[in-house]
Amino acid sequence: MKGVDTRTAAWPTLMVFLLPALAVYAAFTAYPVFRTFYNSFFNIADLDTARYVGLDHFRALAGDSTFRASVVNTMIWSFVAPIIDVGTGLLLALCLYAGVPFARFFRVAWFTPVLLSYVVVGIMWLWIYNYDWGVVNATLRATGLGALAHSWLGDTHTALAALMVTHAWKWAGFNMVVCLAAMHSLPSEVLEAAELDNCGWAAKLFHVVIPLLRPTLLNLYILAFIGKMKVFDLVFIMTDGGPLWATETVSTYVYKRAFNWNTFDLGYPSAIAVLWFLVVIAFVALLTWLFRQKDRLEF
Amino acid sequence: MANAEPFADRATRMLRSAPLAAVLVLYTLYSALPFAWIATMSVRTTSEISANHYAWPTVWHWEKYRAAWFDSNFGTYFWNSTLVVVAAVAVVTVLGAAAAHCLARYRFRGNRLVYFILFSSIIFPPQIILISLFQVMAGYGLYNSRLGLTLVYIGLQLPLTVYLLEGFFARIPQDLFDAAKIDGYGDFEIFVRIVLPVGMPAIATTVILNFIQLWNEFLFAVVLVNDPGLSTLPIGIRRFMGDYFQDTGMIATGMMIAVLPVIVVYAFFSEKLIQGMTAGAVK
Repeated sequence: MKGVDTRTAAWPTLMVFLLPALAVYAAFTAYPVFRTFYNSFFNIADLDTARYVGLDHFRALAGDSTFRASVVNTMIWSFVAPIIDVGTGLLLALCLYAGVPFARFFRVAWFTPVLLSYVVVGIMWLWIYNYDWGVVNATLRATGLGALAHSWLGDTHTALAALMVTHAWKWAGFNMVVCLAAMHSLPSEVLEAAELDNCGWAAKLFHVVIPLLRPTLLNLYILAFIGKMKVFDLVFIMTDGGPLWATETVSTYVYKRAFNWNTFDLGYPSAIAVLWFLVVIAFVALLTWLFRQKDRLEF
Repeated sequence: MANAEPFADRATRMLRSAPLAAVLVLYTLYSALPFAWIATMSVRTTSEISANHYAWPTVWHWEKYRAAWFDSNFGTYFWNSTLVVVAAVAVVTVLGAAAAHCLARYRFRGNRLVYFILFSSIIFPPQIILISLFQVMAGYGLYNSRLGLTLVYIGLQLPLTVYLLEGFFARIPQDLFDAAKIDGYGDFEIFVRIVLPVGMPAIATTVILNFIQLWNEFLFAVVLVNDPGLSTLPIGIRRFMGDYFQDTGMIATGMMIAVLPVIVVYAFFSEKLIQGMTAGAVK
């Protein structure tokens, strides 16, 4: 069809469509990213004076024990928690797919936590974990297990796990709806065989459902992984990194070094941000590549 | 999905598999009760709550909402949130739709590169822009301003908006565009009179998704706005919690005020919202 070419347009036309978005991107994403890289080589005591320090910040990071603790916590969270999130989401989706009654109600009830802000979820779970009257300890005492009652967020051994549970509570519903959507897009005859209605469902789960949903599940794992590498709000609200850095994450540490501690230097937290930026991108690239390789080997 | 079995049969079959039913009920309690608990606390006074944290409200203190709104500044926070979020969502939708249309429809050198650059920033950890944005905003007098926060929010949601809309716009049949061109439509008319109406379901999805994400946004709001009179709801709740740690009842009321708009949106547009959230993740 010569003459009616709707696939090309003059550059000025393209620019009218594209330029506003690109300008916003340049001003509020690209420039700040470059500026953070630049800042990481400076000591910025206030907004106007910057002293060049080269790689000093990066060298200092190697000996920073708080930073090391925050990396360990974030890594544990990023690798372990996505398995819980995706696993729960998959099981919940299977229940709905198997055609339980009141499926609509269940879906709403399970999905609602996804919509709540971290501030609301954080305060809610601060109360749930409250030592004196929180649901967890109240339940333990009521069932005669009062000896197990515990200051869940105040103990270095349980604080990180408690936060991970809260985070999983919020995100299970998201993984559920994604798994459910993926199941609905599969050929129905195949999955009907995998309904949960009779014995041997575990075998069906592992031999039919999981292999079919592999791409979606791996995708969800990567999404959850990225989310956990950035985790900030919940920690900031519930424990602020404590007790004794037991729940410190890289994000909260960057925030503290930049805005909370009175070591007013924006260069050092910028260096952490740069390093973490590279780590996240490297891990996402690696995971994507690994999962692809495995797919190729199987076929 | 296509389950022709009558409901009653299915129900009895499900009841027979008691363990599954137990799991369903337990998980539902686990998932929904915390929120129900906060809801009951929001209409009870703090002294009633201290007496028994788990009692059903005997007197429904709806006046607490009024107190939270007027006396504890939640009205101000609500207004700030509304202003910032509505403005940001409106602008990002227009900018994002224009860019998405351009990337989805036209062939030009660098198209996929631009798409990739926009899209890849979805995975960036926010700290990589947080600290320098603080400097930039302070430099331009946009620190501690709702306008500054709005601009940052537009930038934050742009990649996701372009990504979701590009995917949808690319599936609009090419015939529609060819026919429009034959009828003498120009490039901008095509965008306004074809892409926007046809793409409305996808646009609605991104609007809802962006609204909820920004309504709940915390990190940039806490760094870029310091003035209590300009704070958005999440920051307002946290500040109130910091100042009146013991006032459990009023904190719960404030939380409900922050959550209600999201719940209303979800009640009306749950399908759209879920579509938006799943669009990126299903392959």
